[in-house]
Amino acid sequence: MSTTESLLGIASADRDDIILTVLDNMIWPILAVVILGIFLTVPQTFRNAQAIRLILWGAVPIGLLVLAESLCLLSGHFDLSIGSIAGFSAMFTGMVLGTCPSCWGLTTNPWIGFGLIFLIGGSVGFINGVMIGKVGLNPFLQTLAFLIIFQGAKTAMQTQPVTGLPSTYTQVGASPVFAIAVFLSMFLLLGFILKYTTFGQAVYALGSSKKSAREVGIDTERLIIAVYTMSGLLSALAGLMLTGFVGVVPPLIGEGLVFQAFAGAVIGGISLFGGRGMITGALGGVILIQVVQSALNNSPAVGATQIQMVNGIVLLVAILLYSTQEKIRARILASGSV
Amino acid sequence: MSLEEESPTTSTTKTEQATGTPELRVEGISKQFGRILAVDEVSLEVRSGNIFALVGDNGAGKSTLMNILSGVHQPTKGNLYKGGEEVSFTNPSEARAKGIETVYQDLALMDDLDIGTNIFMGQFPKRGIGPIKFIDWETTYKRAEHIIADRLGRNIDIKTEVEFLSGGQRQLVAIGRALAFDPDVIILDEPTSALSVDATRLVQDTLNTLAESGITIIIVSHNIESVLTHADRIGVLFQGSLVDTYIPSETGLEELNEVMTTGFSSS
Repeated sequence: MSTTESLLGIASADRDDIILTVLDNMIWPILAVVILGIFLTVPQTFRNAQAIRLILWGAVPIGLLVLAESLCLLSGHFDLSIGSIAGFSAMFTGMVLGTCPSCWGLTTNPWIGFGLIFLIGGSVGFINGVMIGKVGLNPFLQTLAFLIIFQGAKTAMQTQPVTGLPSTYTQVGASPVFAIAVFLSMFLLLGFILKYTTFGQAVYALGSSKKSAREVGIDTERLIIAVYTMSGLLSALAGLMLTGFVGVVPPLIGEGLVFQAFAGAVIGGISLFGGRGMITGALGGVILIQVVQSALNNSPAVGATQIQMVNGIVLLVAILLYSTQEKIRARILASGSV
Repeated sequence: MSLEEESPTTSTTKTEQATGTPELRVEGISKQFGRILAVDEVSLEVRSGNIFALVGDNGAGKSTLMNILSGVHQPTKGNLYKGGEEVSFTNPSEARAKGIETVYQDLALMDDLDIGTNIFMGQFPKRGIGPIKFIDWETTYKRAEHIIADRLGRNIDIKTEVEFLSGGQRQLVAIGRALAFDPDVIILDEPTSALSVDATRLVQDTLNTLAESGITIIIVSHNIESVLTHADRIGVLFQGSLVDTYIPSETGLEELNEVMTTGFSSS
C-alpha cells in the first residue's frame, strides 16, 4: 500500500470513528435542533423559569418509565407492561389509602402506602421475570398479557378518581424540587450501577448475546428476573410520582405511557436489540419527549385531540432514526475500515 | 490401535514421547448418554507446554471428551489427573479453579462490548471500601492491554468493540479471556475453523507462543491439516475410542485421514 493510500485509509477510519461516535450520541444534536425549533415556533413553551420547571417536573414519571424500559432494552428484552404496572400499583395503593366513598380506605398510614406500591410493582415485575427468564415465555407476549390484565384490573377496581390520599404520600410527587431530585438520583444510580457493577455489565452482556453471557458464567435466568423486578419497581415509582403530580389517582393513570417510554429510550440511543446504549442518552430522550409534549400543549395549531396522533408520529420518527442509525453502522462495519 | 488395553504412560506412539512433564492425564475415561457410548475407555496424557491436537470425524467423541476435561460433563467411569493429582469436576468453574480454561467454537464473545470488557466479563478487577466494591475500569483496561499486547503480542486497541474485529482477532480475544484466569491448560474447540489463511496463521503463532511460555494447549478439531503443522502430538478418535497418538513429523495427512475415517492405518 502506498503512503497516500495508507493515509487515506487512516483518514477513512477516523471519519468512520467520528460518524459512529455521532450516531451513538445522536440525541444531543437532535435535542438542540428540536429545542431551537420550538423556541422559534412555540416560544411560550419556555416563557419563564416556572414553565421550564413544569417541563422537568412533568418529565419525572415518563423519565422513570424510560429508565425501566431502557433497562429491559439493554438486557435484550422489553416491557410493554410498565405503564400498566405504574397505573395498577398506584390505583391499588390509592384504593387502600383513599377516603373517597368508593375507596377501600383500609389505612391512612402513608408508609404502608409506600411499601405497598413498591411491593406491587416489584412483585408484578418479578412475575414478568420468572415467566420470561425461567418459563421461557416470549417477552412481547408476556408483557402484552400483563399490560392488558393490569389495565383491566385497574379499571375493574375503580373508574372514578381516587381522592383523599394522605398528604405525605402524595407529597413525594407533588413537590417539583423533590420529584426532580428523585428522578435525577434514579438516573445517576442506574447509570452508576450499569457502568460500575458486575450486575450492570452482565445486563449489557445479556443484551449483546444471551448464549455468550451464559457461557461466561452469567446466570441469565436470575439476571432476567432481576431486570424485570427493577423495571417493576421503577414503574411503581413512576405511579407514585404520577399520583403526586395530579394529587389524586386518575382512572386512566399510566395508560399509553409505554409508547412514550419506548420513544424516549430509542431516541436516547438505547438499542432495540440490546447490549448498546447509555443511560445519559435516555435522559436526553426523556427531555426531548417532554419538551415536544409541552410544545404540543402550548401550540395553538395542535388541538388536544391531536396530541396522541403526534405522539405516534414522534415514535415513528424515533424508530426511523434508529433504523437509519443501524444501517449506517452496518455499512461502516461491512466496509471494514474501522 | 486402541489404547483400551494400555496404560497411558505406555501408550503406543510411533516414536519417543514428546518432551515435557505430564500436565493432564486421562485414564480409562468413558461417557455414556443413555444407550450411546460417546467416549469409550480413552487414556491419554498431555505434557506440559505441548500442543496436543485431538482430532476425529463427527461423532468420534472429541467434543464429549473436551467437555469432560472442561467440567461440562462428568465421566461415567475413569480418572482424570491434573499435574499428577487426581481431580474431578462437576462444573466448568471447578475445572477453571484447577487451571483448565476452555475456548468454545462460538468464542462466547459479546459483539457490542469492547475487548477489555469481553476479556474480564464476570471477573472484573474491583476496588472499593470494605464489602462495597465496584469495577475498577483503569485496572481492567491495563490488564487487558497487558494480555493482548504482552502475552499475545498483538497491537489492538482494547477499547475496540468486538464487532469490529476480524475472525482471527476475535479468536485472540477469546484466548485472552482464557489467559485472564491464568490457566495451565487451555482447551480450544475448532480454533481455526472458518478462518482465512492469514487469520489461521495468526492464531497458530499465538498458540505456539503460549505453549513456549509453558501453557499446555489442547486443540479439538476435525481438520487434520490445520493442526498437522503446529501440534506436538495428535490423538485420533474414532467412534468414541482413541485409535492412537502420533507425532506430526512421523506421519502424514493421508495416514491420519485414513485413521480418522476408518479407525485403522494400513501403512
